[in-house]
Amino acid sequence: MEDYQPNDEVSFNADEASNYVKECIESIIGGVDYNQNKVNQWTASIVEHSLTQLVKQGKPFKYIVNCAVMQKSGAGLHTANSCYWDTTTDGNCTVRWENRTMYCVVCVFAVAVTL
Amino acid sequence: MRSKWSTGSTFSNNMEEFQTGEETTFVVDEISTIIKESVEGAIGGNAYQHSRVNQWSTNVVEQCLSQLTKLGKPFKYIVTCIIMQKNGAGLQTASSCFWDNSTDGSCTVRWENKSMYCIVSVFGLAL
Repeated sequence: MEDYQPNDEVSFNADEASNYVKECIESIIGGVDYNQNKVNQWTASIVEHSLTQLVKQGKPFKYIVNCAVMQKSGAGLHTANSCYWDTTTDGNCTVRWENRTMYCVVCVFAVAVTL
Repeated sequence: MRSKWSTGSTFSNNMEEFQTGEETTFVVDEISTIIKESVEGAIGGNAYQHSRVNQWSTNVVEQCLSQLTKLGKPFKYIVTCIIMQKNGAGLQTASSCFWDNSTDGSCTVRWENKSMYCIVSVFGLAL
């Protein structure tokens, strides 16, 4: 792990994170239909690849990436998040994606590390 | 002094973690109890209703978070809640975390009644 320079104020860049996540989702489930046998692998891949991209940025954050994939069948789905943290440095971003047969919701939470 | 950092993947379907009870570590059992009480209190005994689910999920996360902060431990918390109507659809969730394995942790509780599923996850990050 690299040494961080603690003199810069770093805050979470939600747009950048959102772009990484969208690319991950597209590359893993873009263009495929919901498949019960594969959905386990898909969610695992999405969170792991997104996390890897975020960590590569080398910023002093701890990350949590959460992904939910749901088959489109008319059911209602509702998600909510609540966070207790430092609002000046920490942040989150949520990406909602869908295709013909499924919804995918990915949330990234970034918590600044005090060094 | 470097902390131990690593990536850890946890999957909603098969997650178990045990920690010894200490003031500065994430105690899964304690958190799990808090979550169950919050869910029961907010939606126990209700049937899925589209017009109320927004309020319910908000109540679940807020209730969990206020109980967690009352513990007075040096942690930042993230609480997520998913409520899904039961109608045969498939739902899969996964989380991946980049943190300090020795102090941070998470806990997921799955709850259901006749008309809906509720999945609540709490992530605790040591300060």
